[in-house]
Amino acid sequence: MKRLSLIVIAVWCGWMVHAQTNATAPGAPASATTNSPDAPRPSRAPTRIDSDSADFDLNGHQAIYRGHVRVDDPEMKLTCALLVADVPPAGGRPNRIVAETNVVIDFTDARGQTNHTTSDKAVYIYNVQNGVTNEMVTLTGNPQPRMENAQGIQVGDVIIWDRANNKIHFDNPHMISPQNPNGTTADTNSAAVTNPPPAQTNLPSGTVQYNDFPVRVR
Amino acid sequence: MAIFVTRHPSLATWLWAAGAGLLFAVAPGVRAQQNGVQHANNFTSTEYYEPPHQQQIKSTLSGAEALPQPGGLLIVKQLKLEMFNPDGKLEWVVIAPECVYDTFKGVANSPGHLEVRTGDGKFRVEGEGFLWRQSDSFLTISNNVRTVVENGALTNTKP
Repeated sequence: MKRLSLIVIAVWCGWMVHAQTNATAPGAPASATTNSPDAPRPSRAPTRIDSDSADFDLNGHQAIYRGHVRVDDPEMKLTCALLVADVPPAGGRPNRIVAETNVVIDFTDARGQTNHTTSDKAVYIYNVQNGVTNEMVTLTGNPQPRMENAQGIQVGDVIIWDRANNKIHFDNPHMISPQNPNGTTADTNSAAVTNPPPAQTNLPSGTVQYNDFPVRVR
Repeated sequence: MAIFVTRHPSLATWLWAAGAGLLFAVAPGVRAQQNGVQHANNFTSTEYYEPPHQQQIKSTLSGAEALPQPGGLLIVKQLKLEMFNPDGKLEWVVIAPECVYDTFKGVANSPGHLEVRTGDGKFRVEGEGFLWRQSDSFLTISNNVRTVVENGALTNTKP
């Protein structure tokens, strides 16, 4: 039963909340790291997780929420059909959480901007290696995962949200015109199609600063 | 008055609901029926840790009523299970207004309400209808699962 607590305690508030405190400030160097101080955190509203049913495998250290899964956190909302969380036997934070089928995440970033993501699958990975926190959310699926915010709609084959470093990486990124939200046309050779700007310093190709997406217009 | 009932001494090792609760402990003066289970009112059962923490309570299970049924079934009403760590800190509380425990299969189930919460109340999960399978420590909550994680439950967790 201890697993049960660890599972749920960290399930999604860990996903969205903890890394917010790890996040580098907007505009900070991309290479800035990640370890968070254990400073007291302000009081916040509870996180709620609702689902049609749930299984708790105490031997397998796994919690499975099924059917109309809804995560309601002060800093994000998530819905999906299936949510699976793995927790290390020794306790602590979950090291892997998988949300599957019609995954929708709405969250407010460090700048206060709202973001809306959709994907078939979202995989959260958390670990600490050599004192460095790694915390990633990977969005995949078909149709391609997409992220929508005030800047527009960006899609990619894979969207990797490096929460620890406050970066988002798009594989094969492109932007969808608001007039063509399905992205089914307009993949043209017109002058409107541009090359992505030069990669930012210290960032691998395809990696962009948080909410600053240099993507091709499709 | 607490009345302890048991079917078999091995019940002392039966774990319930969180892998730590003892449904009915073997106790001196147990009055066994043919199948070893008898009616009980306002019962409380206490399980202690094994040495070196044998003075510490591991869990207490209480109920308003336990009704033996044919086939090794036991209806338990107003079930409350409390689990403690070796330091005596309350870790878990499990509450079910009513459930049926299959003493042969080691399965507890109910179409009714189930509530599980941590000792500090920061984490709570509840739902309607549940099945607890002792053999592989598997808990299913069948309907309308609602989980609440209060502030601080996560933030105090260190990697």
